[in-house]
Amino acid sequence: MNLEHSQPLEYSTKQNDLNIFGFWVFLGAEIMLFATLFTSYFVLENRTGSGPAGAEIFEITPVLIETLLLLTSSFVIGLGIHAMRLGKTKAMITFFAITLLLGLGFLGFEIFEFVHYVHIGAGLQTSAFTASLLTTLGTHGAHVTFGLFWGTAIILQVKKRGLTPETANKSFIFSLYWHFLDVVWIFIFSFIYLKGMM
Amino acid sequence: MKELFPAKQVMGFVFSLILTAIALLVYFLDLSFTAGLTILVVTAFVQALLQLVVFMHAGETKDKWAIYGNVYFMILIAMITIFGTLFLFVWDM
Repeated sequence: MNLEHSQPLEYSTKQNDLNIFGFWVFLGAEIMLFATLFTSYFVLENRTGSGPAGAEIFEITPVLIETLLLLTSSFVIGLGIHAMRLGKTKAMITFFAITLLLGLGFLGFEIFEFVHYVHIGAGLQTSAFTASLLTTLGTHGAHVTFGLFWGTAIILQVKKRGLTPETANKSFIFSLYWHFLDVVWIFIFSFIYLKGMM
Repeated sequence: MKELFPAKQVMGFVFSLILTAIALLVYFLDLSFTAGLTILVVTAFVQALLQLVVFMHAGETKDKWAIYGNVYFMILIAMITIFGTLFLFVWDM
C-alpha cells in the first residue's frame, strides 16, 4: 500500500476528499435509520397476535446462504477497490461484476423468502411482529436493489471513461455503501434471525 | 494474479467467516439466552469493526478522526435510541 506517501486516485482532489467524507456522514444517518427499525423490531418481536413467532418461520439454510453471499460480495468489492488502486481497470470491473452477481443472488433468496412468508401466512399485516420484521428486512433489501442499479451504472461509466479521479471516487463511494449493507445484514443475521431461533 | 488478492483482505474475509461460524454456535448448541446473546453481541460488533477498518479503509486518510468520530457518535445515538426504548417499553423500568 502506498498510502503513506501519495494518496490513491479516489482521494486525489479536495472535492474527492469531501465527497468521501460526505458519504460517511450519510452512512451515519443510515445507521440511525436502521437503528430505529431495530428499535421497533425489538419492541414488537413478541407481539405475534394470532400469527406465527420468529422461531416458527425462520429457516437457517436460506438465511445462511444469504449471509455467505453478502459476506463474499463485500470481500470481492474490497478486492475491486484494491485492483482499482493498482490501476487494473479490467480486474476491477470483473470484481465489481462478481459483487453485483452475488448481490443479485442475495436478492433472489430474499424475494423467495418473502414469498414463502406470505404463503405461510406471515404477511405485512399479520401481526406487529411480522410488520416490523418485513419492514426491517425490506428496507435492507431495497438498499441492495438500489445498490445493484448504482453498481451497474458505475461499471458502465468506468468502462466508458476509464479510471479518472472522478470515476475512481464514485467507485470507492459505492464500495463504502456496499460494505455498509453487509454490516447491516450482520446485525439482521445476528439479532433477528439467530436470536429468534435461539 | 497474486497481487490482486492482498493478504490483509483475504485474512479479513477468513476472519469474518470464522466469526459467522462462531455466531452460528448459538443455533446449534443449547446455550442459555444470556450466553447466546453475549456471543452474538461480541461476534456482530467485531465483525462490524472488521468491515470498517479492513474493507472500508476508515483509518487511511488524514480525516480519519472525523470519520471515526462521526461513525462512533452515530452508533452511540443508535444505542441510546435502542436501549432507551427497551428500558421504557420492554423492561418496564
